Amino acid sequence: MNITLNNIEQETWKDSIIHNLDGRIKLILTLMIVIYSVYTTDLKVLLLLEIYIILLLLFSKVSISYFVKRVLMILPFGGFIAIFQPFIKEGLVLYTLPFGLTISYEGVLFGILLLSRLVVCLSTIVLLSSVTPLDSIVNSMRKLGFPKEMAMILNMTVRYLFVFFDELESIAKAQKSRCFSIWNRKTSYSWRLKQIAFTIMMLFLKSFEKGETVYYSMLARGYSGEAISYKEESPIMKIDYGIIVLTLIVIFSTEIILLNGFI
Amino acid sequence: MHIPDGLIPLEQCIIYYIIVIIVGYFAVRWARENLDEKQIPLLAVLAAGIFAIQAMNIPIPWGTSGHMVGAAIVAILIGSPFAGFLVLAVVLIIQGLAFGDGGITTLGLNIFNMGIIGSFVGFYSFKGLKAVLSDVPSIFIASFLSLFIPAIACALELWIAGAFPLIAGLYFMGIYHFVIGIVAEGLISTTVYIAINNVRPDLIATKKINS
Repeated sequence: MNITLNNIEQETWKDSIIHNLDGRIKLILTLMIVIYSVYTTDLKVLLLLEIYIILLLLFSKVSISYFVKRVLMILPFGGFIAIFQPFIKEGLVLYTLPFGLTISYEGVLFGILLLSRLVVCLSTIVLLSSVTPLDSIVNSMRKLGFPKEMAMILNMTVRYLFVFFDELESIAKAQKSRCFSIWNRKTSYSWRLKQIAFTIMMLFLKSFEKGETVYYSMLARGYSGEAISYKEESPIMKIDYGIIVLTLIVIFSTEIILLNGFI
Repeated sequence: MHIPDGLIPLEQCIIYYIIVIIVGYFAVRWARENLDEKQIPLLAVLAAGIFAIQAMNIPIPWGTSGHMVGAAIVAILIGSPFAGFLVLAVVLIIQGLAFGDGGITTLGLNIFNMGIIGSFVGFYSFKGLKAVLSDVPSIFIASFLSLFIPAIACALELWIAGAFPLIAGLYFMGIYHFVIGIVAEGLISTTVYIAINNVRPDLIATKKINS
């Protein structure tokens, strides 16, 4: 499962109805679904939201195996906590295991709820990042009123992220060509650790030096610390409003049906 | 240590967001007053560097690997915990939105743990320890604490949220991050500090402040 920054970015350059939506709309859509799925405690709602995300995914032409791989890659930490719930939550005992371990009914339900929430939230974020280039996410945050200083730092960070990942990749290649591996027990542990520390130090120095170079080149182009960066104008189209309305209908109708006890 | 969406209830997420916004306000004010315009691009590029550094696997005994967070070393090199906060906030926003590492509702919590607790604990323990110890042990202990204390905070927050029992959480998070704290954060940050001190001592701001 080798998904690199470049793979993620390549996926965002596909052409589909979902890719072409305005960045702000995709960001708002993601926020709405994530907040609603953290708010709800009903599994049917989460199932419905996941189906909605999968439908959007099908329209977006993003490869399903790539999508599943990415969700599975980031699931472990939260998944670990969810899987533990049946053993740690007190309640009606379903099974008694050796070593005094018990599986409780409430724990199983809570574990399933946490896991379902995690899957819906991760699917939403993976969908957002699969259909929106990084710089579009950052620019959309700025257009939505994110503080100027932070937006500027974010914008520049995103630009240099790719430079540093290329740098990291070429360092890794150079080390590999010299048979360096962090797991190679033929070399001492302290020596391996030292090599990694030196690599990290090089990345630190490179980022400091790159920062200085970038500053001088900005200065040469008139940067004074109060620079205004222009943002590309992109009007919100009917389809953008349409998808927001559709998501709102999905969320509100689910909530109303749920309140009235129809499902 | 990145807590994902879904484990922390919304009302608790809002509290962490409020704390982060307040510290963020002071951090931006600090940046306006203390940073010359040169350091803004520097912080941005450093955040990209930290992002790549966090992607590097460091071997941990038991056959597993961990990675560095870097809050303490950034705060110490730039000379303020607010710098560590700003850099980590940028890294965590991108990780949360673009990689799903961490989450959106829990972004405030993750910035609170790694950006605020990590940077402040790392910076002030370094400053405090330097009064009694030399540079090398001070930076080692400070970097270790900058990872270990947020991990303990993380266990506490998961307990408050009702997602994990306190003792088991402290045990799992504590032991794992104790080892990662010593190897990935402590030893690596110390070596990085010594190496930068040898080749570009002018980059270490805490030296200038002390002298």
